[in-house]
Amino acid sequence: MIRFSKVSKWYGDYQALTDVTAEVKAGEVVVICGPSGSGKSTLIRTVNRLEEIKSGAIYVNGQDIHAPGLKINDFRSGIGFVFQSFNLFPHLSVTENVCLAPVRVSGRSKGEARDHAMALLERVGLAHKANAYPAQLSGGQQQRVAIARALAMNPPVMLFDEPTSALDPEMVGEVLSVMKSLARDGMTMVCVTHEMGFAREVSDRIWFMDRGVILEENSPNEFFTAPQHARSKAFLSDLRSH
Amino acid sequence: MLGIIQDNWLLLLVGQYPKGPLGGLALTLILSVMGLVLSFPISIGIALCRTSPIRMLYVGSTVLVYIVRGIPLVMFVFWGYFLVPILVGHSVTAFTTLICTLIVYEAAYLSEVVRAGIQALPKGQVEASRALGLGYWKTNLWVIMPQALYNMVPSLISQFVSIIKETSIGYVISVQELTFAANQINSNLLTRPFPVFLILAITYFAVCFVLTQCAQHLERTITRKRSPKMAHPRSMSNDSVLEGQ
Amino acid sequence: MFGRLDFSAVFAGPFAHLLLSGVIKTCELTAASWMLAVGLGVMLAVLRASGIPVATKVVAAFVAYHQNVPMLVQILLWYFGVPTLLPDAAQSWVNAHDGELIFASIAIGLCMSAYFSEDLRSGLRSVHYGQQEAARSLGLGFFATLRYVTLPQAIRNALPPFVNHTVLLFKNTSLAMTIGAAEMTYVVREIENETFKTFEAYAVATLFYLAVSLGLMGLGALAGKRIQNQAR
Repeated sequence: MIRFSKVSKWYGDYQALTDVTAEVKAGEVVVICGPSGSGKSTLIRTVNRLEEIKSGAIYVNGQDIHAPGLKINDFRSGIGFVFQSFNLFPHLSVTENVCLAPVRVSGRSKGEARDHAMALLERVGLAHKANAYPAQLSGGQQQRVAIARALAMNPPVMLFDEPTSALDPEMVGEVLSVMKSLARDGMTMVCVTHEMGFAREVSDRIWFMDRGVILEENSPNEFFTAPQHARSKAFLSDLRSH
Repeated sequence: MLGIIQDNWLLLLVGQYPKGPLGGLALTLILSVMGLVLSFPISIGIALCRTSPIRMLYVGSTVLVYIVRGIPLVMFVFWGYFLVPILVGHSVTAFTTLICTLIVYEAAYLSEVVRAGIQALPKGQVEASRALGLGYWKTNLWVIMPQALYNMVPSLISQFVSIIKETSIGYVISVQELTFAANQINSNLLTRPFPVFLILAITYFAVCFVLTQCAQHLERTITRKRSPKMAHPRSMSNDSVLEGQ
Repeated sequence: MFGRLDFSAVFAGPFAHLLLSGVIKTCELTAASWMLAVGLGVMLAVLRASGIPVATKVVAAFVAYHQNVPMLVQILLWYFGVPTLLPDAAQSWVNAHDGELIFASIAIGLCMSAYFSEDLRSGLRSVHYGQQEAARSLGLGFFATLRYVTLPQAIRNALPPFVNHTVLLFKNTSLAMTIGAAEMTYVVREIENETFKTFEAYAVATLFYLAVSLGLMGLGALAGKRIQNQAR
């Protein structure tokens, strides 16, 4: 579904990604973890081209996403992205947030979009907040709306960039349970997260990144019980000591 | 245009001096500095009233500020021209009228700058100071004002630029400041109004632009020195809100 | 100190009509300058946001000039200076068609357009970049993002300084009296010259300006409250 081929990115002199080569298969849930500054967020943002790469190639569904003729907006609407800081549109209600892209990008009718939005809000448990505004919701509720908004375009793949890092601890669970249900329904997902419990429970593969390179790629069981790299061992022991 | 500057630069710069009273750009700057310096203490007083817990002071100062903000400067100057001789008891020069008017006008606008500076400080400052036992006046004198005044220096410079622009209104009541001097030159030459007024515009531009750049440079320096919390775009928008002219 | 105040003298005879014409002239000036200022201000803000180096610099220079030169001087330059640059036919046409109104409106409109464009620009800057990223991630194009996400928020944030500058524009129409435009301040001075009822005449003009200024500020506050209720 997503294939990275020797992807490299520099910010000026600083190399954020170095020859990253990896693959996400359809229906897989991949968790990317690692210390801060390792390039996890940068990598995931290159997939919908919020960040541009300097060398290498990325293929989504077999298509080179940097091909000259590519229509960037159509391409982006086929990938769901959930941000760490939610980025809901504060001047629109919850329903309007979810309907905006289906109506303005896909050209669906308002009635159709609204019905679809209500179904999605049901799915994330927020149908009763359909007419509320983001400022009236808690962080966890806002993030769940953001997930519904991303799902509204029926993307085949969902990307999550530290979706729970900005949440108070008691709200992390409600967002993770939505993500778990998505995984169980067979969605292809790539998640950058520190939630190792989630990773253990739901992911098919774990990528451990450090300093712009995927150091280790393993099934969760093997990664947590027998990490191979010295730095992944150090990372895991740091996590456990809290 | 250069010919006009060559012939008249002295008139523009200092008016009729030494053959008459000081005028031109020099008078404009004197008016502006006096306006700023004399209205500043009054503006601090008004700002303290605006942030005061005493209802009467708050209401009175708010009404005063809103009235001044609602009247054009020209109207204010005419009121001054009419009222100042009555209040003082004898006739006064146009210069005096203008100064008195500017002081009242600026005190109201400056008080908003001071008030914004006071209210931009974290509430914790007052709480900590009162917790230590300092009363209202001591808190203001030793804790609030020093910080607020330091932070508002760029806004003060902006307001000074506004005052310089406002002194041009002296033209209407024959105060011999820069605009009046330029108009005199125009009356003498008669056939070259565009270059004359363009020179006038450029002169104001040069002075005000330099000061504005200083203010912006200071703003950057101050927000860098203070904690990142102080790096608020709000303080810049206050300047544009409070432009007098 | 003032003796007996006699407001009726100010409204007597032809003066009532004169006052009315002053009000109308002020309103005409305000409307003409405001429309010019808003239209031009929006264009300037868009040009500046476009990122084209030449456009950005030209707009910055325009804004710097109009914010650093007193409006009175700008009015004088336009009314006394610019006509001499026009061909004779144009000059006579302008003189016959209320040149004071035309040039005062142009001067005030251009000056305030600089302020309005800066208000819009700071409004645009106040919208967090994450909003654009979210919109683009959903597949909205550049213009769709601008129209449905960025501009609505930018305009809401720009509303308070915009209202303040509108009030400023209204007050600055009084400067047109210096070139002989028969707006409120000019008219009131004439009445004062004829009747010697200085306090009464000035009071009428002052109340007029206060009423409209405070009214505009009140409208602005109302609009702001309604927006607050909707969104952050």
